[in-house]
Parts: sequence; C-alpha cells; structure tokens
Amino acid sequence: MKKLSKKTLNKSFLSWFYGNLTCFSQEHMQTFGYLCAMLPVVKELYATKEEQKDAMQTYTAFFNTEPQIGALVVGMTAGLEEAKANGQPIDSEAINGIRAGLMGPLAGIGDSMIVGTLIPILLGIGLGLSGDGSPLGAIFYIVVWNFLMWFGMRFAYFKGYDLGGKAVEVLVGEQAQAIRDSIIMIGTIVIGSVAASWININTSLVLPGGGDLQKTLNGIYPKMLSGLAVVFCWWLMTRKNVSPTMVMLLLVVVAFVGVLIGFFDPGLSY
Amino acid sequence: MEINAVQAALLGICACLSSMPGLGGTTFGNYTLGRPLVAGLIVGLILGDIRSGIIIGAAIQVIYIALVTPGGTVSADVRAVSYIGIPLAICAVKGMGLDPATAQAQAMAAALGAAVGTLGTVLFYGTATMNLIWQHIGWKAVERGDFGKLYLVDMGLPWISHIIFSFLPTFIITMAGAGMVDVMKAYLPMDGVAMKTLFTVGSLLPAVGVAILLKQVVKKPLDFITFFFGFTLAACLGLNLIASAIIGSFFAVINYKVIMVQNQRVSVTAGGSDDDEEDI
Repeated sequence: MKKLSKKTLNKSFLSWFYGNLTCFSQEHMQTFGYLCAMLPVVKELYATKEEQKDAMQTYTAFFNTEPQIGALVVGMTAGLEEAKANGQPIDSEAINGIRAGLMGPLAGIGDSMIVGTLIPILLGIGLGLSGDGSPLGAIFYIVVWNFLMWFGMRFAYFKGYDLGGKAVEVLVGEQAQAIRDSIIMIGTIVIGSVAASWININTSLVLPGGGDLQKTLNGIYPKMLSGLAVVFCWWLMTRKNVSPTMVMLLLVVVAFVGVLIGFFDPGLSY
Repeated sequence: MEINAVQAALLGICACLSSMPGLGGTTFGNYTLGRPLVAGLIVGLILGDIRSGIIIGAAIQVIYIALVTPGGTVSADVRAVSYIGIPLAICAVKGMGLDPATAQAQAMAAALGAAVGTLGTVLFYGTATMNLIWQHIGWKAVERGDFGKLYLVDMGLPWISHIIFSFLPTFIITMAGAGMVDVMKAYLPMDGVAMKTLFTVGSLLPAVGVAILLKQVVKKPLDFITFFFGFTLAACLGLNLIASAIIGSFFAVINYKVIMVQNQRVSVTAGGSDDDEEDI
C-alpha cells in the first residue's frame, strides 16, 4: 500500500502555490504549474522512469481555473493518483475527466468569491485605513490577504487530497450556495460604500436662475451623480455588451463634451 | 522630480514580480504586489515619499478594485498600472504643484493610471507569447522524461520574458517619463480644454471599476438595492468601510438563515406533495 509522505505533499503544494501561473501562455495557461505540482507526487508513487512518464502524461492536458481555489483540484488529483498507484479502479482518463469537469465551475466560484468579493472587501477596508496617506491600509491588506490565502489554499489542497472526488460536494452543496450568496451580499454592500467614498463626480453647472446645480442635487440625494455614473457604466457593459476599454473611451468623450458645455470644470490653474 | 537609475531598476524588478503572469506567484505577486494600494506603499518607499505614493495608489486602486481576468483575458495590466502608472502619476502631481490629497490630484492620477494600464496590456500579451518558447522546451523535456527541467521551465526561464517585457519597459519609461511633466506644463495649460477633460475623465473612471465588479453580482436592476444600501451608508450616514462591512455582515447572516429556512420548507413541501399524489 503506497502512501504519499507529508513532505511530498508539502512540496507539491508549494510548487502549486508559487508556480501556478509563472509560465503562463494563452495556449497552455496553468498546465506547467500543474506539471510541477504533480512531479513530486508521481516520483514518489512510481519507481521506474517509464511509469513516471506515463503518469506525467496525464497532466499534460490543458488546465486553467482560478488558481487559488484550484489548489483543491491539485490536492484531489494527488489523492486520486495515489489510489491509482495502489491499483484501485481509476485510470488517467477518469482523473482528467474530473479535472476538466471542475475547471469551469471552480473558476466561476473563485472569480466571484475570491477576486470579486474577498479582494474588494479587503481592499475597501485598506482604502479606508489609507485615505489620509497612512501606510496602515496597505499593510493591513498585505498581511490579511496573504494569511488567508496561505492557510486557505493549504486547507483546500489537503481537503482535496483527503476527500478525493467527494470534495466537490463541499463546494456546490445547498449550504455552500447559501453561504456564498450571503458573502457576496457583504461584498456588494461594501462596494456600495467604496463607491460613495471614492467616486467624486461633481458638476459646475449654474442654473439659469443663479442656483448651483450640485447643491440642488445634494439636497435630493448626496453623491447622486457618482451613483448614476456607476449605474450607467453597468448598463453599458451588461445590457449593451460594451467592453470596459470602450466604456473608458466613451467617458473621455463624455468628459470632453461636458467640459465644453460647462457641465464639468475641475477649476485648476498652475 | 527625478527618478534615478537605481530607483527605476527597483521599479522594474517589482514589475517582474507583480504582473499577471508574474514571478512573485499569483497570491503574493499579482494579488499583493500588483494591487495599486500596495504598490503605492512600495513605490512611495522607492521614491522616498510614502504619503504621496499611498494616496495616489489608493486613488488608482478604486478603478481596479475588481480586476478579474476570466480565461486569461485582461483589460488592464497590473504591472503597468502599478509600477509605471503610479511613479509617473507621482511625478506629474508633484511637478504640477498639486497636493496629492486633493480630488484634482487623484483625478489626474486615475486618468494617467488607466491610460498606462490599458496600453500596458501589450506587455501582458508579449510575456505570454514569449513563454511559449519555454513551454516548447518543457514539452520536449516531458517526452524525454527529463522532469527536472520542468522547474526551470516553469519558474526560471520566464525571467527572460520578464526582463524584456516587464523590467526594460518599466526602467525606460519611468526614467524618461519624469521629465515629461515640464513638457506637459509648457504645452497644455491647466485651464485649457485638454487638461480639464483629463481631470474630468479621472473623476469619472472609478465608476467603471465599480461597474466591472457589479457586472458579476447585479443581474437585474432590483439587485442594485444591496449596492445602494451600502452607498447610502457612506454617502448619507458618513459611515466608514469597516462600519459598513459590519452592517453588511449582519444582513448577510439574516440572508443566510432565510435561505436555509426556505431550503427546509422546499424539502418539506416536496415530501408532502409526494404523499398527496400517492393518495390519489
């Protein structure tokens, strides 16, 4: 009965933690990171060069997902490879089937939960702490983010190794869905606050009666123009399928026209 | 303000580490060193002005608060934003005699950062394309069973791609760019349409960053309620982000309980209707 040593698993995890995207290309994306992570595992499980070559061949298939949550898949395949080496009824096709099947869903979960929610919350808090130029916010982000990811990815890797194919349930079950839904809610609320604190769109337009339009708008709802700008950009991107770069260019036009008609005026001079 | 060769070289090394795909790794490179808030601190340290670095990094960070790169498609390059955009923005803001803490300075920084970030996607495609050469060496090694080479291919050789597409562009542009401020001052007066437009664009850009993030969570207009709840907390009640995160957590707990109760009821009623059908 072959059993992977803790040292080998640690080495495999470290290779993935550091090297998942270091040799990225549009064609193979995370494939080489994956090969490096599986190398210690394969070397320990198989004695001869030929067996090792065969086993490594499995992982030459294309791989790409959100790499941090993807540690779970690497851990799973380490567990499955161990089972295969022990003669259990699993072959490289089955392993690749599981890998390919998990890539998409995990990318979706990782992009929305880690990149789309956790990072904005941490950055949002960091921005708040650094608003006056203090390094505290940046340090807060560096420490908390790396702490969470190091232990989170380790947990995912070793959980994947222990559970094998069953690890999927932990991520896509009903309870996991409810937790994800609620965490995204925190993220959305924080982003609302980030938008209100950090977007400053003001008009310099003077109304015909001599009133100041910005003051009138503030009376209705403070920061109204900032909120509307966000909704407008969202509408362009989701309903009109405009790319973010095109939206930025469009804003250049909006700014230019706004300056010409006197709607915007930053009011500066050397 | 001048950037000397040592400073430019340090910025260049940070660019190698922080890009996507960078040599600092995903977690510590791209998602730590590559974030403009963190880069603001580091650039501030390198250039000897931490306060300006942080304030300008923070202003640019808002635009890129959720830079998701689904399937490896990028709309902005973090190494360019963080280690070319921020140093140039610091030079520009100081060269024009603005206080970094003003809304105008931050708008200027945002406009510069976004322009550099968008142009910088060239560097991303350059790096990724050059890595194909190393991967070719890697495939040969796998075929021969020469597995030790895999580490060299994955973690060593990409340094060459980064020297060409991260280090050199950063080094050259930051050294040359510091002098451009005087040119700008001479040819583009602050009260002219061009500069007014630039500053206005800068104030509008953070809205794009926030909207990119909302694209994922707001599917129908009603979902905006959650967003504007947080917006109102800060805009009308003046709460800071930690306070709003705590209030958000409170509602998230309620939301979780409601969903779980709903799930239970669905399974109970589903069981009940099965019984009815059997009776009929």
